[in-house]
Amino acid sequence: MAQHGGPQQRIFSPLRTALHRFAFILLIFSAFGLMLLGKADTVLIERIRAASADLVSPVMNIVSRPTASINEITDKVYNLAHLYEENERLRRENQQLLAWQQAARNLSHENARLRDLARYTTPPSLHLVTSRVIADMGGAYAHSLMISAGSRDGVIKGQAVIADEGLVGRIAEAGYQASRVLLITDINSRVPVIVENSRDRAFVSGDNTTRPLLTFLTADATVAPGDRILTSGHGGAFPPGIPVGVVSSVSENAVRIAPLFRRHQLEYLRVANYGLHGILSEQRIRQSQAPSNTDATNLAPDIPAGVGVVPKESEIDAHKPMFKPPAPEGDRP
Amino acid sequence: MKPGVWHRLDVIARGLLPAFSVFVLLLINLLPVSLPLLSTASPSLALMAVFYWSVNRPDLLTALTAFFLGLLQDLLMGLPLGVSSLVLLLVQTGSASQGRFFHNKSFSVMWWGFALVAIPALLVQWLLSSALIGALLPIKATLISYVLTSLLFPLVAWGLARAQNSLLRYI
Repeated sequence: MAQHGGPQQRIFSPLRTALHRFAFILLIFSAFGLMLLGKADTVLIERIRAASADLVSPVMNIVSRPTASINEITDKVYNLAHLYEENERLRRENQQLLAWQQAARNLSHENARLRDLARYTTPPSLHLVTSRVIADMGGAYAHSLMISAGSRDGVIKGQAVIADEGLVGRIAEAGYQASRVLLITDINSRVPVIVENSRDRAFVSGDNTTRPLLTFLTADATVAPGDRILTSGHGGAFPPGIPVGVVSSVSENAVRIAPLFRRHQLEYLRVANYGLHGILSEQRIRQSQAPSNTDATNLAPDIPAGVGVVPKESEIDAHKPMFKPPAPEGDRP
Repeated sequence: MKPGVWHRLDVIARGLLPAFSVFVLLLINLLPVSLPLLSTASPSLALMAVFYWSVNRPDLLTALTAFFLGLLQDLLMGLPLGVSSLVLLLVQTGSASQGRFFHNKSFSVMWWGFALVAIPALLVQWLLSSALIGALLPIKATLISYVLTSLLFPLVAWGLARAQNSLLRYI
């Protein structure tokens, strides 16, 4: 700018550089501030993340369609080339499956009769929400997907996400129309599981590789490559019995499993609403942090009203000498 | 002749092109691609674009813009908050100050420059993410990501150069 030359330039130019430098330092500090905030206040950050997912989901919903159809075409070409082998394989598999079908029918009849005999209470029914994968946050630092279903469709944080093959992950944040799915391979993912044959309990812990670890196995547990791993349902976070993976390698210091899904081929996922909100339910966490009754011991949120309440000094005095604890209201059979 | 309202709006809209292009590349990065390699490690497209614009038009992609684009990347990709902001901010400031070095040089010089800048950028991202998550992330994925990022740079730079030549020539 020609009119700003001369003395004004001499004053403003260093001022501007100083301002720029100050802004730069301020931004560096805000970046570190954000890191601290991300560590400290997870609820607020989660809301912002969910809102940002909602923001881009309409665009991603449209843009991800052409890529899906391109993938379909490449799949078709590949299938055409392997038609004969595929047919042979399916015929063999069909024979095996027919035998299994027979076994399953017999077992399901037997199971029904035994349940009748034992008065077994059936677990809560499964409510599934099917949705499309609209984004894949592929990367070296996070393993997550975005799906086109949110709180609008009944998706809540913590619900299990299932593909045809087995467990994929859980809902990390649920926005209004889109949610982020944390895959079981992500470093932040822990899933309570059991080994199918030996019924040993363990955790599947992701470490950002394609083969998550089987951790917290007991010392006497017997695990061999090829064992199937199922969700155990402990902690109330996932429904029990969903296949998670197959043990792929057993060494002295690590047991690794191969997940059943192939991440690059995930297209439609189902979110399982099991009626359990599990350890991840924010509502329950908040309730347990701020008890309405200050005398309550608050051991577990499920305990009916009246149980676990320490009577006040005055009440104890009033009931002396023959003290009886107050009868629990609404006690369960 | 005084420039009219429409002319000024046009200038502003064109001035937003660099930031918008980074945003579009972020969304492209999010697309589900059915290649097994890309699902474990993807190229950092936003890093390429931020480097390109800071070298060629640092006036249109300021440090503040880079900071917010990084924040958006962290939010969308589920990364620890603040890490990408810091990385993109450092890349923007560093490249903008060295921008004159790349002017009137062949493209391969810029490519080499980017390959050099991407090493500390991805290393800082890896280190800070590991520190914030609290566990050492596998370095292999970062290495693959680095190779993909530096190999794909010419493609992205070509696209951005075309956009720059057609839309930002007189701004």
